[in-house]
Amino acid sequence: MSQTIAHSGAETHAGTAHHHELSFFNKYIWSEDHKTIAIQYLFASLFFLLIGGLLAMGVRYQLAFSGQPIPLIGSLLPRWLVTDAGAIQPQGYNGLVTMHATVMVFLVVMPLLVGVFGNFLIPLKIGAPDMAFPFFNALSFWLFFVSGIILLSSFFVPTGFPAAGWTSYAPLSANGAWNGSQAGQSLWCVGIFINGLASIAGAVNYITTIINMRAPGMKMFRLPLPVWALFITAILLLLAVPVLSAAAAMLFFDLNFGTSFFEASRYGQPLMWQHLFWFFGHPEVYILILPAMGLVSEMLAVFSRKPIFGYKAMVYAMAAIGVLGFVVWGHHMFVSGMNLMLSSAFSFSTMLIAVPSAIKTFNWLGTVWGGSIRFTTAMCFALSFVSMFVIGGLSGIYMASTPVDLFIHHTYFIVAHIHYVLFGGSLFGIFGAIYFWYPKMFGHMMNEFWGKVHFVLSFMFFNLTFFPMHNLGLNGMPRRIADPSLYDFLKSQQPLQIFVSLSAFGLGLSTLIFFVNFFYSMFKGPKAPRNPWNSTTLEWTLPSPPGHGNFPVTPTVYNGPYEYSVPGMDQDFLPQNQPAPETARVAVH
Amino acid sequence: MSFWRSSFARCGLVLAILLVGLGTCWADPRTSNLWWMPENASEGGVYIDQLIYFILFLTGIVFVLTQIVYIFFIVKYRARKGVPATYSHGNNRLEIIWTAIPTAIFIGLWGYSNHLWWDVLHSTPPANSLQVGVAAYQFGFSFQYPGADGKLGKAEASFVSNDNMFGNDPSDPDAKDNFTSSVLEIPVNRPVHIRLDSKDVIHGFYIPQFRIYQDMVPGRMIDWVWFTPTKIGKFQLACSQLCGSGHYNMKADIEVVSQADFEKWYQEKAKAVQPQPGAKLTSVTETKDQ
Repeated sequence: MSQTIAHSGAETHAGTAHHHELSFFNKYIWSEDHKTIAIQYLFASLFFLLIGGLLAMGVRYQLAFSGQPIPLIGSLLPRWLVTDAGAIQPQGYNGLVTMHATVMVFLVVMPLLVGVFGNFLIPLKIGAPDMAFPFFNALSFWLFFVSGIILLSSFFVPTGFPAAGWTSYAPLSANGAWNGSQAGQSLWCVGIFINGLASIAGAVNYITTIINMRAPGMKMFRLPLPVWALFITAILLLLAVPVLSAAAAMLFFDLNFGTSFFEASRYGQPLMWQHLFWFFGHPEVYILILPAMGLVSEMLAVFSRKPIFGYKAMVYAMAAIGVLGFVVWGHHMFVSGMNLMLSSAFSFSTMLIAVPSAIKTFNWLGTVWGGSIRFTTAMCFALSFVSMFVIGGLSGIYMASTPVDLFIHHTYFIVAHIHYVLFGGSLFGIFGAIYFWYPKMFGHMMNEFWGKVHFVLSFMFFNLTFFPMHNLGLNGMPRRIADPSLYDFLKSQQPLQIFVSLSAFGLGLSTLIFFVNFFYSMFKGPKAPRNPWNSTTLEWTLPSPPGHGNFPVTPTVYNGPYEYSVPGMDQDFLPQNQPAPETARVAVH
Repeated sequence: MSFWRSSFARCGLVLAILLVGLGTCWADPRTSNLWWMPENASEGGVYIDQLIYFILFLTGIVFVLTQIVYIFFIVKYRARKGVPATYSHGNNRLEIIWTAIPTAIFIGLWGYSNHLWWDVLHSTPPANSLQVGVAAYQFGFSFQYPGADGKLGKAEASFVSNDNMFGNDPSDPDAKDNFTSSVLEIPVNRPVHIRLDSKDVIHGFYIPQFRIYQDMVPGRMIDWVWFTPTKIGKFQLACSQLCGSGHYNMKADIEVVSQADFEKWYQEKAKAVQPQPGAKLTSVTETKDQ
């Protein structure tokens, strides 16, 4: 692999100190510094996390206490959502379900992983002064932010939230008379379209930056795993997101201009929407988990004080997931009415994609094996990520098997599955990563004690909330039903529904601990040293937080990313920018 | 060594409590069928249940083994003074093993699943099947039975309209004596071959006790679903695909009756029918404005 030299001179942008003081507007609002943009993404998506969480609380309230007015705020809510008495209406429930998922996927997990950690870590970890296209980067954030505002603004239109599910299956979504919220659904299309532009701008930036701007010596196989994960994710984004944007535009035309791409009564094809949506949607699933896998891999290595087990296998596994991720979308459609032969083929590719996930899991076990594990809050989240991902991965096998899917498709089993992957997986990984990189971002340490409290409560309530959902699903509860008590075969579930809802409220409250810790530590947390975790990668060679332009002198990279506990050294880590001392016996691999 | 042994014992205790607790939580619904799969009531469901238990067994073993190893590692290799971490970048032989074994298992599982999918669940419906047309609309289901000739007749999605919910071909005489019902009445132990269509949006044909689900797609006549009910009783058909404001309550009753009872019901209905292509459903406009 040829090695890219980004800067010929040692003196860099940051070193020359030629830049003048920036105005408040240019420093904090329209900033082109990747670190500031990352923090903008962080604040925005944590705000959206609160909103998405509240929507989930609404969903769980309805399922446990159907028909009862929401205490305190019930009567204040708009009439499309609640009855005069303040109880959630069925159409309002559909809106809650739709927007909870839309917010969590497009405005929380994706920006937290790609927007926050992509922006913050890529230049710092590869030894670059900034992204390749800083202007594009700032544009990407503001497009994202605007898309979020547009998506949420449907709360204020008379017909309320879009109510066709986050998957917006046509023709329900393509006709206002059928879905009940023409305006909400149109705003959804516009919001998703703009959100797509933001993703594409970000993806182009990441790919270019990683290919062109690595510091001398930073070969591709010396890239830390989060960078590899984000690189592959960016490629997925670039290939998948335009398809969704195009589909959203077509849906908007169907809704408002009388075209009929998806409406069968006028010779459109309802299934085409599903193909377009899932052609995006399945790579999207991996977009939402790959970066978390990268972040978790790094935390496991750092806190086990060990090199990552099977670094190259990890990279190849992620690449395999990236490639296979584009040929499995039909497993969302086994029962959609598409050709049965296609179901066989997609079932096969889906079984295959489980293999790289298994490889990654085994390598994580290998990384922990023989380690010297430090149980920081970040590590606790990283460790639990692996277990939760195993549950989410194994439950995926049920759906991959076509006959089983006949029974559990569109039941709460799938709701349990996606939350194990997306919450127990991605979001736990994100929480861990925030505890881990917070010192570098804000120059202060987060409180470890409250971090542990947050971890224990989240872990407990998460499992109490989502594990029983497997049972609800196997018992036959379809997802997106506002009132299961109307069905004879679901009546016996009510106690379990209440249990799940109470656990969900606990989960919601436990997240508030995180928020308090997050904002309190920003001002009152102890000052962070350069390298609080004794980590090897380049960002930890800089002050916390790093200055504008990052590296005063462009670093030269001598080692792989995870040289921990190298025999023959005094300290148990060998930073990437330091040549190995004579005595060290660094393995050639 | 006694140090890790004692903490290992502690960890084992926690694990044992967890396992017993989880086991109890699961055993209760398992034996009572309260929060477990509803009792199967179709022929194909038997095979699906076998496959589910097979996967449960497989994934259960993998889960328990990986978690035991993982927790064992986490406890054993926690930081201790003077014990450095092992410096290792991995092991290629292990990589090959844990790539090859899962690949073989997954391909095998695919073979098992695919065999069931094609050779059992979607084989050609038997000749003695009862033909039933199922139409969905916002927000209800309707069922169409063949008249005295035993034939539903040809149908196409392009014929589906308010006046012709089931898309019967107006030029096909076989459809003239069809009759409709708001309840899905079917005889036990006789294959039922259904033909699904939807008038407006996508609906779902879902009967958990029969282990059956198929989307009903506007513009598409889906004719590959058949099943054989094996238990007499009342069931419910639930729409499982979000279809609008009335989705939460879109359902229909299913009555599985003895062959003799079905014959009686069928003869009465078939006699009362006036031959007309398809059947107009007055309830469509009534329910639309809910």
